[in-house]
Amino acid sequence: MIRRLVVLALLVGGALLLEPLRAPTAGVIAPRSLFLFGMLLLTADTFGAVAHEFRVPRLVGYLVAGLALGPSATGIVPAGVLEDLGMMKRLAVGLIGLLAGAELRVSDLRQRHRSILFILALQTLAVMSALTALGLLGRGWVPFLTGLEAAPLVFVVLLFAATLTVNSPMVTLALLTETKASGPLAKTTLGVVLVADVVVILIFTATFSLAEASLGGETASAPEILRHLLSGVLGSILAGAVVGGVLTLYLRFVKRELVVFAIVLVFATAAAAQALGFELLLSLLVAGFLVENVAPVRAEPLVSTLHQMAVPVFVIFFAIAGAELHVREFRALWPLVLAVALVRIGAIFLSTRAGGRLAGAEPVVTRFAWTGLVPQAGVALGLATVVADRLPRLGLAMQTLIVGVIAFNESVGPLLFRRGLERAGEIATR
Amino acid sequence: MQTTLAAVAVLTVGYILAYLLFDRLRDRFGYVGGAEYVVIGFLLGPRVTGLLGAGQVQDLTPIVSLVLGWLGMLLGTYFRLPTMALIEGDHLRIAFGEAVVTFAAAGGALFGMLHYVAGFSGRDAAVMAVTLAAVATLSSPRAVDAVVDRARTGARILPILQLTARIDALVGVVAFGLVLAVFHQGDVSPGVRPPTATEWAVINVAVGVASGVLFHLFLGPRGHLDEGRLFVALAGAIVVASGASYYLNLSPIFTNLVLGFILANSGSAHRDVTRLLLLTERPVYLALLIFAGAAWSPVSADLLFIAPVFVIIRLAARFLGGRAAGLYVAPPQLRTPDLARGLLAQGGIGVAIALNYTQVHPGVQSRLILTATLLSVLLFEIVASREATLFIASLKERPSPPEGVNVDTALPAR
Repeated sequence: MIRRLVVLALLVGGALLLEPLRAPTAGVIAPRSLFLFGMLLLTADTFGAVAHEFRVPRLVGYLVAGLALGPSATGIVPAGVLEDLGMMKRLAVGLIGLLAGAELRVSDLRQRHRSILFILALQTLAVMSALTALGLLGRGWVPFLTGLEAAPLVFVVLLFAATLTVNSPMVTLALLTETKASGPLAKTTLGVVLVADVVVILIFTATFSLAEASLGGETASAPEILRHLLSGVLGSILAGAVVGGVLTLYLRFVKRELVVFAIVLVFATAAAAQALGFELLLSLLVAGFLVENVAPVRAEPLVSTLHQMAVPVFVIFFAIAGAELHVREFRALWPLVLAVALVRIGAIFLSTRAGGRLAGAEPVVTRFAWTGLVPQAGVALGLATVVADRLPRLGLAMQTLIVGVIAFNESVGPLLFRRGLERAGEIATR
Repeated sequence: MQTTLAAVAVLTVGYILAYLLFDRLRDRFGYVGGAEYVVIGFLLGPRVTGLLGAGQVQDLTPIVSLVLGWLGMLLGTYFRLPTMALIEGDHLRIAFGEAVVTFAAAGGALFGMLHYVAGFSGRDAAVMAVTLAAVATLSSPRAVDAVVDRARTGARILPILQLTARIDALVGVVAFGLVLAVFHQGDVSPGVRPPTATEWAVINVAVGVASGVLFHLFLGPRGHLDEGRLFVALAGAIVVASGASYYLNLSPIFTNLVLGFILANSGSAHRDVTRLLLLTERPVYLALLIFAGAAWSPVSADLLFIAPVFVIIRLAARFLGGRAAGLYVAPPQLRTPDLARGLLAQGGIGVAIALNYTQVHPGVQSRLILTATLLSVLLFEIVASREATLFIASLKERPSPPEGVNVDTALPAR
């Protein structure tokens, strides 16, 4: 560990020595971004190994590495470089989506549909209700709620609650891949998290349109809200079906060079998502699901290829996510952040226990499913960005609080889930 | 929306047609090149569907640099000193003789054509000629290994063929690395004396050596990493080393060649490193072809003649080099005048060099270099496998030499 840190320090020193010889060229390449991206990978790998030694999930190490190098801490990786690495992050999100979809099997869903549905419904309802109540009761302390009239207040609080209802398919999948966990808890959590991704995006879109309309934004009528829903979610599902179709054809007729094909497919889908406005993660999740469960081909080669790519993809995603964490916001708002995060965890805890009992789930699911629903990461951050971009008057303030809560959940959530899997006895012994 | 859907349709149909076309070539000639990936890159790129716009192609620089460095590092790992020490002097002389004659012949002819016929200035023509000569000299070690493995014969020339492919690649990458250093492009910070050509060359080597030593330390003496983590560590090392090279407008392929050489010759992780690099060579190569396709844009009509002429020059230089080494450098028992027939495949490093050139020298010349390289790589890969197989088959009919050579020990480490 010390040896590795010395090497990393020497690399940074070496880069500083080379600085005067730097040749500013026509802007085809961003050597600094490149160098720092490499540094981020190496530091993440080192911190991941340290985390593993302390029986902490590696992804927490990746996050800490990103945080340590990112603008919030040392600033070695500045915000501009993170923007340059946006494409890398999209690639990671897309591959994780594809893998997550392919991991979701109809047979598992059918077997555990009661548990998944009960836990999902109660969790969504409980988190929405608890956070709405908290927002309404504590509106005097929440910066973006002060001064709002009754209708906008309700819709903005609902939007806030909807954004924080999101779970993290990335964290769930990363932990399940890392620990090779398998069992009722792992399967149920994955099912809930993936289905919740679709449900919560629907709720988010609806509440967003209502909040935007109530604040005097452009979206006002019910048909327009419906159009948002259709373009946002149904568009993603449709796009996922198209991508799934292309994947099926490829697996049927070509079946070669799956690594390259998966990467190209994700890039093409990301470009199409940007142009057509659908959601990358959701569409690839649907594509993976369809190929695994509906398409008349064996998806096993694709799934095993995606598994081979999983470790580097998770390192890239979580290291960049860590660098994007906003610690300053957390520092400024920590009492509020902590209150929101604890209320959310409490709501998840109670609702999943109730959901598990009502569905007659296995005891380990009833007791520990809540641990897998605490983490939040990329999807929630994406929604927070939408809020900041599209609600200029209060969006930024809301994003600050939401990002603070996500930072907390992103750091604590994986620890909780790993502990839950451990106590459920589902982590593979090596 | 219609434009994007049309783009997706063009991409899908284009790829399937290209796949079917090259699948025929695979069946007929044993073609392994993957030209359909150049097509897919071109279709994805800004020139056709624009799904990957110019800005997005630029955003992919981390992956491109990783790919360039990956191939450079793989080449470096071929040169493991303990195994190289076992190689007979005659073999090394033949390999270096072939590489140097091919490079010199191709370089001379290309300089003449570019300077006197195409009208480029002396400096530009020299840089382009050395770059294209480096591409012309390259033979694909992987393709040669594949043909040799299939042949299952103990002919004495086979290890020489494999060694020559590696030395060809070495000479090509080193020449390209040096030309970028000696004819350095770009300014340094104000107030700093610009290094001389020799100093740039030394800096070039020093960056590679420093990266190699640091990553040897980083991987540690034991190096028992699982595949995923080793991939991350190697990717990080390659991207950092490439970043340092780009910082200075030098060649990341060369830097990573030195890095790979040092990793292969130090610590005990070299087997894992080499195995992982070999395992991922094919996807990396295909990714490179996609980037090359996306980055490719047509050359002006009056310069278009250079690409086919380059193919002819490469063919001539290759046969000249093969003949000189196989006939005049080789001792009597190893004489093989048609050595070049086994060395026609160019492989990914040629495309990597051309792509690297486009990054350091953007403009008309880079389009020219990329066009010539892609045409050459794709054409030669159609015929290379078949030609090499026929060449090896013809060797079987010749009487075996009296002393046998252990093929495995005569080769650099894999």
